[in-house]
Amino acid sequence: MSGSIITMMIGISTFLGALGLAALIWGIRTGQFDDQSKFIDGARFDNEEELRDAIQMEEKKKRAKAKAEKEKNYMPAD
Amino acid sequence: MIIEKDQEETRYFCCKGCEGVYHLLQDEGLDTFYEKLGNQTLHPATQSDDDLSRFDLEGFKNKYIKTNSDGFNEISLIIEGIHCSACVWLNEKVLHQTEGIIEATINYSNNKAKVVWDEEAIKLSQIIEKIRSIGYNAYPYDASLQEERGIKTRNDYYTRILVGVFATMNIMWLAIAQYAGYFSGIEKEHKNILTIAEFVLATPTLFYSGWIFFRGAYFGLKNHFVNMDLLVATGASLAYLYSIYAMITKHGEVYFDSVTMIITFILVGKYLEVLSKKQASDTLDKIIGTMPTEATVIKEGEKALVSVENIEIDDIIELKPGEKVAIDGILENSAASFDESSLTGENEPAYKASGDTILSGTICLDSVVRYRVTKRAEESLLHTITEMLSDSITKKPYIEQLANTISGYFSLTILSIALATYAFWQWYSGSFETALITAIAVIVIACPCALGLATPMATLIGVSRAAKRGILFKESRMLETMAKSTLLALDKTGTITEGKPSVIHLYTYDGFDPALLLALVQSSNHPVSQGIQEKLYTAYPNLILPSLTDIKSIDAKGITAKSKAQSLAGGNASLMHSLGIETEFQSKHTLFLFAQEGKITAAIELQDRIKKAAKETIQALQSQGLKIVMLTGDHEASAHGIASSVGIEAVYHSLLPTDKASLIDRFHEAGEIVVMAGDGINDAIALAKSDIACAMGSGADIAIEVSDVVLLDDSLERLADAFEISQTTFRTVKQNLGFSILYNIVTVPLAVAGYVTPLIAALSMSLSSLVVVANSSRIKLRRKT
Repeated sequence: MSGSIITMMIGISTFLGALGLAALIWGIRTGQFDDQSKFIDGARFDNEEELRDAIQMEEKKKRAKAKAEKEKNYMPAD
Repeated sequence: MIIEKDQEETRYFCCKGCEGVYHLLQDEGLDTFYEKLGNQTLHPATQSDDDLSRFDLEGFKNKYIKTNSDGFNEISLIIEGIHCSACVWLNEKVLHQTEGIIEATINYSNNKAKVVWDEEAIKLSQIIEKIRSIGYNAYPYDASLQEERGIKTRNDYYTRILVGVFATMNIMWLAIAQYAGYFSGIEKEHKNILTIAEFVLATPTLFYSGWIFFRGAYFGLKNHFVNMDLLVATGASLAYLYSIYAMITKHGEVYFDSVTMIITFILVGKYLEVLSKKQASDTLDKIIGTMPTEATVIKEGEKALVSVENIEIDDIIELKPGEKVAIDGILENSAASFDESSLTGENEPAYKASGDTILSGTICLDSVVRYRVTKRAEESLLHTITEMLSDSITKKPYIEQLANTISGYFSLTILSIALATYAFWQWYSGSFETALITAIAVIVIACPCALGLATPMATLIGVSRAAKRGILFKESRMLETMAKSTLLALDKTGTITEGKPSVIHLYTYDGFDPALLLALVQSSNHPVSQGIQEKLYTAYPNLILPSLTDIKSIDAKGITAKSKAQSLAGGNASLMHSLGIETEFQSKHTLFLFAQEGKITAAIELQDRIKKAAKETIQALQSQGLKIVMLTGDHEASAHGIASSVGIEAVYHSLLPTDKASLIDRFHEAGEIVVMAGDGINDAIALAKSDIACAMGSGADIAIEVSDVVLLDDSLERLADAFEISQTTFRTVKQNLGFSILYNIVTVPLAVAGYVTPLIAALSMSLSSLVVVANSSRIKLRRKT
């Protein structure tokens, strides 16, 4: 077996493993495993409706932010 | 039951509240909640009292509401009444649909919620009202306490361990190839590829996962002591540096696999200890959250809600039934029963008349009373207790663990031996390289793996064995502390005794009708009534209950009622006197008399029974040399009665929660290591202050939260088991430590002499760890003789 093949195999397998590791660490860091029960039940409530709800919340946040921004920059005409 | 007919459907509701909730959900389009609920049943919705205004007060705002980086308000709430995931879904949904709420997430495991809202669109009181309107309740807590920090440390360790485990697993199969090559020959080129791959994997392990050890070593040196972290850090980084040197010069063996293995193994051991750090803050939040913030003050004939901080001494406060006393004071021209269980641990309500002191934290049970304030809010008992509690949780006494003491000396010895070895070989062979390699071999072979695993392995198995017997150790290091303890302090009610009165004698006379008595006692939830109920259920099964009318409960005396034309009365002797019924019964225990038509037909004696096997267990523990004392909030006579019947000589009685705590302090000053066992809110501070706190599984939440050991089946025999297991475990820890030191005494001279080849290093490293693991598993095999 030539050296380059060994290098490639080790490199690729380690890289793939590292990708998985990074994904897992990202999950832990963002608190996705903090609530075990919700994590397990998550599948039951994972549907289109929930997705729409999440988008709605994001839009609401944006609107509220924009409103706050507007008020901060509001200067009375004098 | 309310029956409601829709076009096609017929719905049944248990009460108006539930019907209201249903329609609210239907209007909002959330009625799929009932499908999501599955087989869960709900509690009837309750109408909450109107204390909503307190959520918009300035003082409340400063305490709980934070402003986040976007300029929105943020609060952490505990939501009461959540028992399934559908409840979480419903609460989140309702909050999401409310105008002005920007974010709402609820953690199902601990019922805590984070809500972010726009102050201009909605007020906090409206948010709380919304939650209440669907049948739940919410109160705030301070999230910046230990809990969040705890989660952060845990996640940090997780990440570091994951990186370490990932690297170790990969390095292992690379190392296997290398060792195979070591014996059967390998091409130089291939060997170098493997080495470089190992280097790539070892680097993040040493610097990222191993960061904990570098930090620990640094803090150790800063405070002038050598710890295990220093040995691990120097050992691993020297081996790492040497391996890089060997990799570049292409001769000699590399030790990258040892580096990752040492770091990962010891990190796991360390994590096992961090993992079990408990979070007592949870329940403390609950207590603080339910503390009354306002009271009704009567000024010049007018009632006004005044926040507790602004109440002055000599103000008059009005208290309604069910309300919690906010400030200490003296009753004026009124009388009522108070539930003092949070202070004394006794379940029986105390009757207080005009001129009696009432203490904050107690609950007024049956009438509207007025009292004069004698202390300011911050000096009141409830406030003092919560202060002390949060203080003592963070200042838990710490007993130095054996392994830590030993590893200090061990590290110092090994480091100096390595240094001496280097000096000797430098002088003897004159070669810098040989000297360095031998010195590093000493450090690597003195693998602290076994030492690092000695305690965590043994305690982990000890904890799991205890758990099988219904004893939950919350922190593994508590096993060692418990094995070293010298004094056991026991609470009386609920710990030595069962905590509720049970019938010891039932005398019946002509015309006694058990069905009438049962119906009468069922109308009250006083502990005495419940004790009698239990007895009647077993003594007279299958009773058919008559219906009673005119049920009146008389403060601290008993109950009267009517069944058809017959008048009934049940209660103590003074009730009978006030009804003009003659009695001659006397008892040193609690006495309950039952009269039908003015004639006594039954007399019942009740007593708080001592738990099964309590006496034997206490004697067995005493014979092991443990000092046993009893701490109780009960009065002298009954305290001594119980103590003498179980064989305890040292008795402290009539103690308030704070007194119990200061007694624990006194024991500490006398040099004792104290184990405290209790079950009530009144024991909580003392529990938090003692070295080991044991709570009964059926005890108050707060007592369970602050304790280190929970006895699930409430029996004292389990307490003795806990002592036995902790002693066995501690013995094993000592054996493990002894073995790893013995192992070093054998192998370190070999390393000093320069006889260590990579094969010996690898073999002995795994062997020593295996022996420690095997010895620890013996704890599981041991049976109680």
